[in-house]
Amino acid sequence: MRKLRMVLWVVVGIAVIGFAMLLVNQRRTETPSSEQITLTSFGGPFTLTGADGKPFSSASLKGKPYAIFFGFTHCPDVCPTTLARMVKLRKQLNAGERPFEILFVTVDPERDTPAEVGKYAALFNSPITGLTGSPAVVEQVKKQFGIYSKKVPDGQGGYSVDHTSTVLLFEKSGGFSGTISPEEADSMALAKLKRISA
Amino acid sequence: MKRTLLLAALILGACSKPQPAGKPDILIATAWARETVAGQTGTAAYMKIANFGQGEDKLLSVSADPPVTAMVHQTSNEAGVSKMRPLSDGLAIPARQSVTLEPGGTHIMVMGLKAPLKSGDLLKLRLKFERSGEKPVDALVTGAEGP
Repeated sequence: MRKLRMVLWVVVGIAVIGFAMLLVNQRRTETPSSEQITLTSFGGPFTLTGADGKPFSSASLKGKPYAIFFGFTHCPDVCPTTLARMVKLRKQLNAGERPFEILFVTVDPERDTPAEVGKYAALFNSPITGLTGSPAVVEQVKKQFGIYSKKVPDGQGGYSVDHTSTVLLFEKSGGFSGTISPEEADSMALAKLKRISA
Repeated sequence: MKRTLLLAALILGACSKPQPAGKPDILIATAWARETVAGQTGTAAYMKIANFGQGEDKLLSVSADPPVTAMVHQTSNEAGVSKMRPLSDGLAIPARQSVTLEPGGTHIMVMGLKAPLKSGDLLKLRLKFERSGEKPVDALVTGAEGP
């Protein structure tokens, strides 16, 4: 009988501890969602060169949400796949032709002239702003947006470029809103794009 | 006795090794390449390689009409950084299975284009397999989003 009472007390003890842990955990998960994160220092301002050879300033993006992607025009797979996906998602939003801007910045300014990025951006049959600049300027802009890139020999006498494959999203106000990664489901990406386009 | 055991072990060992049971039977479908603009010298081609046979095969290399060259490449995404590398050991096509070359993954990297590839063009490629030999493939040139 005594044994049974002890066992019962242990069970009660475990239940109390379990309940307490549940409460603590719940509180822990509640806190982050109530915080709104805005990183205004991340990203712009910048001045790059547009496809027409004229300066393109981030000031011209004022009041417009945008998605920015860094790549290079000799990139046969990831870059066109990413840009085509952004165009497809933009159409799926059903919010007019340009609910947000799509910017493509080269990480290979040595090969990518303004004309080159312009022609490349035109491949997608939907407005994409192709941007380049002097190697020094591109390097600076990459730093501002936290972009990594590195040239690697392609074994054929040329080179390919390893680079950040994440698309960065910015709100109308210019504040950083989030990212879209290649592995992410379209439904998740669409929700994020809806948020910046609202 | 010892010798018999050793022999038995050898035979068993040989049996457990995966042997190609039969011949591979390769069929390539829905081959397409992404269109390019003037000045762009490279693109990617994608396709489905099916093996209806009982034996495994391996895609060793790809060629195109000179001066155009082609290679099997693999795109990987490590910690948010996209990297593209040649598949040096070839691409295994297991028996009774199909392997899909698709955007963002394994693809055929096409280099040395002298003129733009326009939608509707056919890009001639030759795929060399370890056991099935060379197979010609016409990749249909399509817009950026694919067919």
